[in-house]
Formats: sequence, structure tokens, C-alpha cells
Amino acid sequence: MKRPDISTWLLALLSLPLILLLTLPLVQMTFQPSIHMLVETICDREVLAAISRSIATALSASFIAFVFGTPLAYILARKKICGKKIIEGIIDLPIMIPHPVVGIAILSLAGRNHPLGQILSNIGIRIMGTWTGIITVLVFVGLPFYINTVKAGFENVPQSLEKASRSLGAGALTTFLRITFPLSLRHIILGFIMCTARAISEFGAVVIVAYHPMTATVMIYERFTAYGLKYSQPIAVWLIIVSFALFVALRLFSKNLHNYR
Amino acid sequence: MIQLENINLNLPGFNLSNINLHIKPKDFFALIGPTGSGKSLLLETIMGLMTATCGTIRLNGIDITGLPAEKRDIAIVYQDFALFPHLNVRQNIYYGVPYHNISMNEADNRFRILTRTLGLNDIISRTPQKLSGGEKQRVALARALILNPAVLLLDEPLSALDPMFREETRQLLKRVHNDLDMTIIMVSHNFQDVLYLADTGAIIRRGRIIQHGRIDSLFEKPDSIFTAKFVGMKNIFAFDKIEEGIQLKDTDIRLNILQQPEKRHIHAGIRPEEIILSSSKNEFLANQFQGRITRISSRGIYLAVHVESLSAEFEIICPANCRRTMDLRPGNQVFFSIHPATIHTF
Repeated sequence: MKRPDISTWLLALLSLPLILLLTLPLVQMTFQPSIHMLVETICDREVLAAISRSIATALSASFIAFVFGTPLAYILARKKICGKKIIEGIIDLPIMIPHPVVGIAILSLAGRNHPLGQILSNIGIRIMGTWTGIITVLVFVGLPFYINTVKAGFENVPQSLEKASRSLGAGALTTFLRITFPLSLRHIILGFIMCTARAISEFGAVVIVAYHPMTATVMIYERFTAYGLKYSQPIAVWLIIVSFALFVALRLFSKNLHNYR
Repeated sequence: MIQLENINLNLPGFNLSNINLHIKPKDFFALIGPTGSGKSLLLETIMGLMTATCGTIRLNGIDITGLPAEKRDIAIVYQDFALFPHLNVRQNIYYGVPYHNISMNEADNRFRILTRTLGLNDIISRTPQKLSGGEKQRVALARALILNPAVLLLDEPLSALDPMFREETRQLLKRVHNDLDMTIIMVSHNFQDVLYLADTGAIIRRGRIIQHGRIDSLFEKPDSIFTAKFVGMKNIFAFDKIEEGIQLKDTDIRLNILQQPEKRHIHAGIRPEEIILSSSKNEFLANQFQGRITRISSRGIYLAVHVESLSAEFEIICPANCRRTMDLRPGNQVFFSIHPATIHTF
């Protein structure tokens, strides 16, 4: 192997502070709690429920993004529609908006003073303090990550393949299901992972909409403010471990799919 | 069989304008034009992948203008072959079968014939990533032909192939056309391919058909400077009519010609390979001139020799061995003659 030259060393040296900034706090936090504390924490039913709730709501939000976001991503990737740039800008908005604002916005829309809130209330859907509320804000904050990743996947599929499929007799929907979807599956899974990751880590919007039932991030905050660093760290470590395992599994699944490019 | 009547297609920055074509059954028709002339767009309009702004497309007398691509009984083979990368060769070839009224027995039968004819038997389990350019082309052909379409469209079928596969595929296309008696419409910008394969054709420029007819007629009798240059007619001159023939403008070259030019004709064209180069004068040859070689460029097995004579410069194509046998060098004097029958006026 060729020895790295001086410019490579210089670039590595410049990158080092950022890598340390990213890894040191996580390493410190992960290895600070004792094994005994970690075991004790995971045996706590409230902690287990909060972590499960975080994973379940994040996966539900990603599933909703998959069902409703995939057609939108396809339209944005393939169709010439007026106001496309505006729609893309709207999709990116949740990345820029402070997340407590997202929670407040959704609560104000679902409140009893708003016609939509009244309709939701009449059909028995509640946002404040419910799983529905948590999933709603998680979809809101995770959607841009899903749509943008999947849109890039659709754009990567050569249009000539879709045209060839149409010329061979397949209709538009069949072409999507037999050609475009399988060839974009890696991006769809990647979008799912990104959306889930964003949703699991969400705190600001969730804490406004649903302090209870408590998700892991809200519980970490609650334990930190009530009992201090020592009692919040083990929950954070478990959340990292579970999330890491989930993402590795999803990555392995997507790795098994062929890369056709 | 295929009739295009007044087809117009308006896109931002490009239009297909007033396209009228009549392509006979079992014809090998070539749409010829430079890059960006609209030939692939016209092919996709025939296929139904682009919707004409106005005009009518008829297939066997039936108006198919409003039909979606999948209902037109037309198949297309793309320049990049468009093989589905997640399917193997067998799955690619069978892809369209469920959407056509073909029984599985019939499909299997056609599959066997096609894989044997196109030499695909050894690669049917491979994915497209593991195929050579020529193999991809044959799989794409088989995938279209298994449906036995009324019309086969070929979008630049040879341009993505290296020279070895190009010749092989050219012969294959010729064989497929002869064996299946299928109407084929091919898009190409290469006149050599067109000459070899097509019976009739049209030249398209900036979205308009500027000349159509038999291929040899397009090749030998272009009716515009653009077409003449496009089909390789290098020696094009404006001329004045004189009593015994024509005189090339701004030169002292006077040529006897076989047929008197029509009144509207103002240009004369001579194909470079039709001019006969010699190192000595031959009394029996008509339109013979002496000239000085200005430059020689190699075209592989041919030479393009530029000769200046009486204020005109001609490009002459001759075999590469002429450089040795005739001692061709820039600055040398040579003789060349132009047979009256090879002078085309337009």
C-alpha cells in the first residue's frame, strides 16, 4: 500500500478535533456507568417501557413516512409539476424550525379552539399526551430525511428502464412496482433508517406534545433534572445500544440487497 | 403500415414540426440526423412515451395516437439497452410476456428460438452487469422480439458498441430483419450503418424532416447542403451553367455532366470516393485535371488526399497503399478525374 503523503497527514490532523468532539463525549458517557448500574437500569420497568416506546413510535413514524412519503418522493423525482421548488422547500422546513416550535404548532392545530382539533376530538383522536401525538411530531421531524433520501434513490434509476418497461407492456404502476421500487430499495431503507434515527433522538417536539407517556429522551431529561447526571446516563447508554443494534440490523439488511449501479 | 401525419411536439426549447412519414410494412426505415436533431424524440413519440401536441399516428390503418405505450404493439431497444439490472437474462427476456396475449408454451418456444438464434444459451442466468456490450444488445433484442411486435424501434443500436461487436451486431440486425420480416425503425447518426441496414429513411434536422426516400437516393442525391455534408459528400461547390456543362463558381474548373441541371439547382456535389486519382494523365478520362497535393490525412485503410487545382480544392479518398504506389506527398503534382455521371446537382 502506498504510504500517505504529507498532505494526507495534514488533512487528517485538521480532521482530528472534529472526530474527537464527536467521539469523546459519547465514549465517556458510554463507559462511565458501571455494569451494575446498567443492569439495574434495564431492569427498571419504566426505563424499559420508555425505550420500547421510543423505538415503537420512531418505527411507526418511519412506516407512515414510507407509506405516504414514497409517492411524494417519486413525484418530486420524476414529474414536472408547478411549484416543485416550493414543495421541496416546505419538506425541508422541519430541519430548520426549532423543534419545540413544531410541538407547539401541532398542539395549536389539534387544540379544541381549532376546527381541525374539534374534528379530531369528535372522532376520538387526541394528540396531547398520547402515542398519536408523539408519532405525529416524529413524522413531522423525520419526513425531510426520508423524502430527500428516497427522492435521490428514484432519481438514480435511469428513466430509460421505466420507458423500456412501459414499451414491453407494463403499465405505470407495474413499472413502479417491478422496476423503480426494487432498484430504489436501498435508498428507501436508508431513508427509513434516517427517519427512524431522527425520530428516536427527538426531544424538543415530543416534550411539548407528550411529557407522558414518556419516551426515552424525555425520561433522560426527567432523570437528569430530578436526580442528576448519574441517573440519566445509563438510560442514554441503553438507548444508544438499542438504537445501534437496530441500525446495524437495518444496514446489514440493505447491504444484502444488490447494488446495481 | 406506420403513418405519421402532421406530427407536432412542443417542448421547452425544442419542437418537432410537421412530421409526415409513411413507412411501408416490413421496411427497415432509418431516421438519420445529427445529435440533438430530435430523432430519438420522434421515436419516443411513435412509441407513445411522448405525447404529440397534434397530429396522428396510424399503425395498420388504426389511429394509435391516444394509446399508451404498453398498448401499441411496438417495442423499443434503447441505445443503452435498458436491461433491468436486478433481473437475469432469462427474466429480462420474459419481462413483457405477462402483458401480452402469449401463452406460456408459445413464450417458451419463442424463447428457445431466440436464445439459439441470438447465441444467448450460455448466459441466460447471468445478470446484465456481467454481459459484454454485444451480449447486452442481443438480450435487449430478444426481450423485444419475444413479444413479436408489429414494429421494432431501435434507438442508436450500434453507437454504444466497440468496433468488434458493432460489425457483428450490424449483421445480426440485418439477419433479424430478413428472417422475421418485421418493420424496423432505426435511429442513427452514422450513415455507414444506415447504408448497410436500411431500405428507406428520412433525414431530420432541428425537429423537421428535410429529406426522405430510398437510402441510396439520400446518399447519392441529397437535395440540400446539409444533407450532402451529412451523407459524406465533401466536394460541394456553387456553380454557373455553361454551354457544355457547369463551371464551379470562383474557380476555373469546368465540368461536363451527364444530365443538365434543373433551373433551381445551384450546387454541385461530388463524393470524394468517386474522384479517380492518378499519377499520370489519361487521355480517355473525362473531366481530368492536374493539381497539387496540399495535405494528406489517414482514415485507417483509406487516405483523404486534398488536391488544389484551378482555384478549387477537392478531397479525394483512395486506398492507403496509394501513398506508396503513387508516391503521394504534400506538394506533389497529381492528376484526378471526375466522371460526369458522379456529379450531382441540387
